[in-house]
Amino acid sequence: MSRDTTDVADRRTLLKLTGGAGILALSGCLSTTDDGGDGSDGSDGGDGDDGSDGSDGGDGDDGGDGSDGDDGDSAGPYEIGMVDSLTGSLSAFGERNQRGAEMALGRVNEVGIGGRELSITVEDSESENQGGIAAAQKLVNQDGVPFLIGAVGSGVSLAIYESVVEGTDVVQLSQNSTGLNLTEFPGLLRMSPSGRSQSLALSNIITDDGYDEVAVTYVNNDYGQSLTDAFVNAYDGEVVYNSPHDQEQQSYSGVISEMNGSGADAWLFITYQAEFATMVNEVFSSGYEAQFYGADSVSGDNVLENTPEGSMDGMKIVVPSAPIEEENYQEFASAFESEYDRQPTSWAAYAYDCVINAALAVQAADEFTGAALQNTVRRVSGPEGETVTSFEAASEILADGGGPDDVDYQGVSGPIDFNEDGDPVGFLQVLEVQGHEYEGIDFVEG
Amino acid sequence: MTVLGYLANGLVFSSIIVLGSIGLSLVYSIADFANFAHGDTMTIGAYAALVTFGAVGGLGGAVLGLPFGFFFALVVGIAAAAVVAVGTEKLIYEPLDIDSIGLLITSIGIAFIYRALIQIRFGSDFTRFDIQPLRPIESLVPYGVRITLHDVAIVGSAVVLVVGLHVLLQYTDLGRKMRAMADNPDLARVSGIRTKRVKLWTWVIGAGLAGAGGVFLGLFNQLAPRMGFNLLLVIFAAVILGGIGSVYGAMAGGFLIGMINQLTPFFSTVVEALPIWPGWLAAALESLISIEYANAIAFVIMVAVLLVRPNGIAGEAAT
Repeated sequence: MSRDTTDVADRRTLLKLTGGAGILALSGCLSTTDDGGDGSDGSDGGDGDDGSDGSDGGDGDDGGDGSDGDDGDSAGPYEIGMVDSLTGSLSAFGERNQRGAEMALGRVNEVGIGGRELSITVEDSESENQGGIAAAQKLVNQDGVPFLIGAVGSGVSLAIYESVVEGTDVVQLSQNSTGLNLTEFPGLLRMSPSGRSQSLALSNIITDDGYDEVAVTYVNNDYGQSLTDAFVNAYDGEVVYNSPHDQEQQSYSGVISEMNGSGADAWLFITYQAEFATMVNEVFSSGYEAQFYGADSVSGDNVLENTPEGSMDGMKIVVPSAPIEEENYQEFASAFESEYDRQPTSWAAYAYDCVINAALAVQAADEFTGAALQNTVRRVSGPEGETVTSFEAASEILADGGGPDDVDYQGVSGPIDFNEDGDPVGFLQVLEVQGHEYEGIDFVEG
Repeated sequence: MTVLGYLANGLVFSSIIVLGSIGLSLVYSIADFANFAHGDTMTIGAYAALVTFGAVGGLGGAVLGLPFGFFFALVVGIAAAAVVAVGTEKLIYEPLDIDSIGLLITSIGIAFIYRALIQIRFGSDFTRFDIQPLRPIESLVPYGVRITLHDVAIVGSAVVLVVGLHVLLQYTDLGRKMRAMADNPDLARVSGIRTKRVKLWTWVIGAGLAGAGGVFLGLFNQLAPRMGFNLLLVIFAAVILGGIGSVYGAMAGGFLIGMINQLTPFFSTVVEALPIWPGWLAAALESLISIEYANAIAFVIMVAVLLVRPNGIAGEAAT
């Protein structure tokens, strides 16, 4: 009898401890998943980071600057700021950005902006909201930059916008953020297309392929949910199955057997590489057949390596891409290769265009202030005006007395043309899996 | 998919959980603490097998779609997990000389160390054994059962290991000593059992089974540094459901939890088909019983069982 009671007490203590330690351990996971999330090929990661929005810690007090009136000096360079992920989980993107930005800066300064140079002060966001805010505060409040390029992760860009930029005249242009919710902030511009354009493109492709029924499964977080919602809204056919799944589960056989049971022949996956690879293997070993579609975060060499040959053939994936068939991109790519001895990624192209767009905005503006730049930043790359593909050509038009509406800079990453929400007309590439390799089959405008 | 199909899936998944939960329960009953590094011990077994399999290759023939080299790698994985666990016991747990709560907290730290070491060596990305995945067994597909020969191998090997453990516990000298120690360590010691040695053997067996579970988990799904840790919560649920410290309880608990986890899609179709009244209840059940809550449903059932049998399925029956 006495043994019994101690047993019960033991069990209670253990249960309590298990719970406590479980929470502790889970809190550990939260900080480690970021590292795992960003693949080596750069086609995700920017999205993966979306989950960590929300908490932007202390926002510092802006007051107490205001006197930075060296603008009048015509000799010194124009100072703009850039917040980049030089360290942290998205540092791979930061590196790509730095190469693109450096190249663009070189080209701008070869020509010059009305006899002056452009200079970019780069600060590190550490790929975290807190670090991003600190970096942006330093740039905006101490250095007094009127134009801020930043940041990579959608959560970081938004945190900077909400706690530093919003309510000021400063122009913020994010280089790599693809999160859907950035669209809700028209003052926050970005060079990379919104994930929404992926959803729209996917719905068009699936419709064009003749499927009027689709089964969707998505990763249970902001990224998966928002892309799926956008897809469901855009898709004309019937979504016969729509269910989330958690990350890092040991088996998704329940999900795939339900997708199979839904009767749809087109299956759409909006999830990450590891989860998707598990699903493909389970589909293969269950002997199901379907036409797969996926968002960019399911593509990667690690998926190809860890799935059986032929298990995904015919799958179509939409990824953000530079228009690699355009002449100006090819010129950019070959210059990039001779400079850095490697192929450029679209993430470098976005950063490149950010700098060129900023330089043109500065040149077109009457004075070097946030208010003036707000007025020109969209117009120099907007659809009105003469189409040009390099800074030099655009700069010539402006130097000849042209206004911002006389120039339409076509970026190496796409036509730019910011809409009223601050999102660009992005280019997306459609990849098809052929012979267990990704082959680009088409480009679509976002 | 038919009920049979879900049951078959459940059987495969349960086999892996059973292997993990036996070890956890065994170590709890004899070393007297809940080892949070148990999940990562599974990971160690899996990665050791990955390295071995990469080094030795197929070794010629194959059985059940698995090359001989894989079975060799399995043995190495089991051995590696056991060696690491015994090493940790000797270097850390034993010299620490603290109570079971202290050991529990320590084991969380150990778990992080194991995982970090694997991550340093293999990176955080996932990988798989270099074994060609199989299609389902043709003759079973008409019954709605879609399992591969690999799945059969997993279940078969798990059964062999579990039966082996049963024989060891019931019919060998070591098994009797282990049971005696689990019942009453002090009494076991005064009656002449070398408890330290028995404890070491417990670690060897518990961690070895975890290593086997890890290898099968890698074969079933994929290898990633967090694979074992992600399964740990489910394994704990299985152990608690079965009755902490009871090996046979852990088997039953692991089996049940794995089954419930895989049968959730079936439950949801049943709920949809049943004429539940009133309508709001039906709607609530339909939205709650869906695969995204598979683990939560398993835990709810665990709580329900514990309300009826507070000591778990196996009750007081020690070991």
